[in-house]
Amino acid sequence: MRSSIASTTLQRPRYRTQDSFFRGRGLLTLLLGVALIWSLTSVNWTGSIVHPGGLSAIGEFFKAAFTPELSGSFLGLTLGSAWTTVAYAVAGICLAVLLGFPLGVLASGVLAKSAGRRVAQVAGFRIVLGFLRAIHELVWAWLFVVALGLSPMAAILALAIPYGGILGRIYADILNDVPQEPLRALRSSGASEWKVLLYGRLPMALPDMLSYSFYRFECAIRAAAIMGFVGIGGLGMQIQLSLGDLFYNEVWTLLYALIGLVLLVDVWSTWLRRSLTQ
Amino acid sequence: MEHLAAEVPDPVNLDVGINGGRVERKPRLNPIRVSLVGFLVLAMASWGYILANGDSGFGDLFKLETWKGAASFLGELAGKGKAGTPAFLQLGEWGKAGKLAYETLAMSVLAMGIAGAGVLITFLPAARNVAMGDLAASRSPLWKGLYFVVRGFFIFTRGIPELIMAMIVIFAFSPGILPGAIALGLHNYGILGKLSAEVVENLDPRPARALRTSGAGAFQVLAYGILPQALPQFLTYLLYRWEVVIRTTIVVGLVSAGGLGREFRLDMSFFRYTDVALLLIWYLILVMFVDLASMYLRRLAR
Repeated sequence: MRSSIASTTLQRPRYRTQDSFFRGRGLLTLLLGVALIWSLTSVNWTGSIVHPGGLSAIGEFFKAAFTPELSGSFLGLTLGSAWTTVAYAVAGICLAVLLGFPLGVLASGVLAKSAGRRVAQVAGFRIVLGFLRAIHELVWAWLFVVALGLSPMAAILALAIPYGGILGRIYADILNDVPQEPLRALRSSGASEWKVLLYGRLPMALPDMLSYSFYRFECAIRAAAIMGFVGIGGLGMQIQLSLGDLFYNEVWTLLYALIGLVLLVDVWSTWLRRSLTQ
Repeated sequence: MEHLAAEVPDPVNLDVGINGGRVERKPRLNPIRVSLVGFLVLAMASWGYILANGDSGFGDLFKLETWKGAASFLGELAGKGKAGTPAFLQLGEWGKAGKLAYETLAMSVLAMGIAGAGVLITFLPAARNVAMGDLAASRSPLWKGLYFVVRGFFIFTRGIPELIMAMIVIFAFSPGILPGAIALGLHNYGILGKLSAEVVENLDPRPARALRTSGAGAFQVLAYGILPQALPQFLTYLLYRWEVVIRTTIVVGLVSAGGLGREFRLDMSFFRYTDVALLLIWYLILVMFVDLASMYLRRLAR
């Protein structure tokens, strides 16, 4: 017999019957186990899994972790490419918010005039948002580089489109999930849906929206770093160049810079989120 | 004047305790204001830096020829102006790309398996309350040390993007889905580990305490007081991450030579754009399938 103890901060306690093993979590465990075994069988285990000499290369790579390249000129290069990465991430997230906010409001359906229109509007815009975020930012980057040419704008747009899709979807969810009572009070005093949005929904939703946008900013730093793969500058491109030249010490300097950057934004967004959720 | 201000409490900011005494309030930074202003400054600096650079490409966005180029690229994706049947109208090509999609799906599942197994082994010592707080089994400094080691490993693996991880992993492993899965697994290990450790830190300590006071051993407290609360949340996060991972498989495949990513790279390099379109269609099918599967499985975890 299972006893129900579940009462984390995120879940309300749920009470289940004893015979539910093959319906609830038991079934889930079974499915996940089968999926894992299936994925293991689809790996080609017969050939040489590890390169001849590959392990020694990896060993050398990790040995270089203790002796990163610290010459002045290379540190300057690292700092410069770190700033480029930050600039792309910030510019991308700015456009993503500009794209995600109107789409999010439309996809939440809060301004729709009738129930029928609301259903159509919500379904339509949710599909659009789903499409925007379905494709990874690097794939967008590659497509943009081919379509628009190699330029920083290609990287920024490639970042802004999937992030706009994610932000829009989350904004829509947050706008829908605000407490309804204050909105009813506004409506009963004659406010239009626009005014309900402006004076009811937005003030209540803003802390959550801000908090999530900052979390996404942290992800955008990592995403901007890998834009180097399609030839757009920043930490990712330098890492790729140094890896190609087998200069492992340089790779580690750049990796430490990237980890430091991600950690810095992580600490910033945690600090902000703590004060927003209090 | 200053003397007076100290005597009469400010009616707007009532810094007055229950007994009428003045409560000293430390001047604190307002995180929201600081963050907004900080971000605004950062945004202006970034856009200034990008636009000041002559070849930012921003001006090109307002030129007709740029958009003509983009339109012709879209046309090529749809197979316009190319001799022969486009790849997405040939059943055989669908089958070939479908096999790659199948491999890609296996890569994502294997990656989640690697990340999940790693997290299951290490997430307990990474939780502050289990390692050194009120749920700790022992006060030995070994646990404290382990806490910092595991947390450091989380930060390290989380900070390196999947693609760069794949570039490193491919040094040692033969091309295929395995190196891609390892790269994805390592990065997601860091993310899932952090989230799971936070779940344990935030869980309700009362069941564990009740067990402890009624004489349960460390293992029993773990099995009946901590895991039943933490594991469903862990599985939910795992499934959420799966949705992200399936989108990233194609990117990791670019360097680890497994699944859709390899063909995407080849077809882009050889300008076989209708094949690219077919791969993108399969990619979207995969993403939608995983989104639906994850939604169904998450319902089971509740």
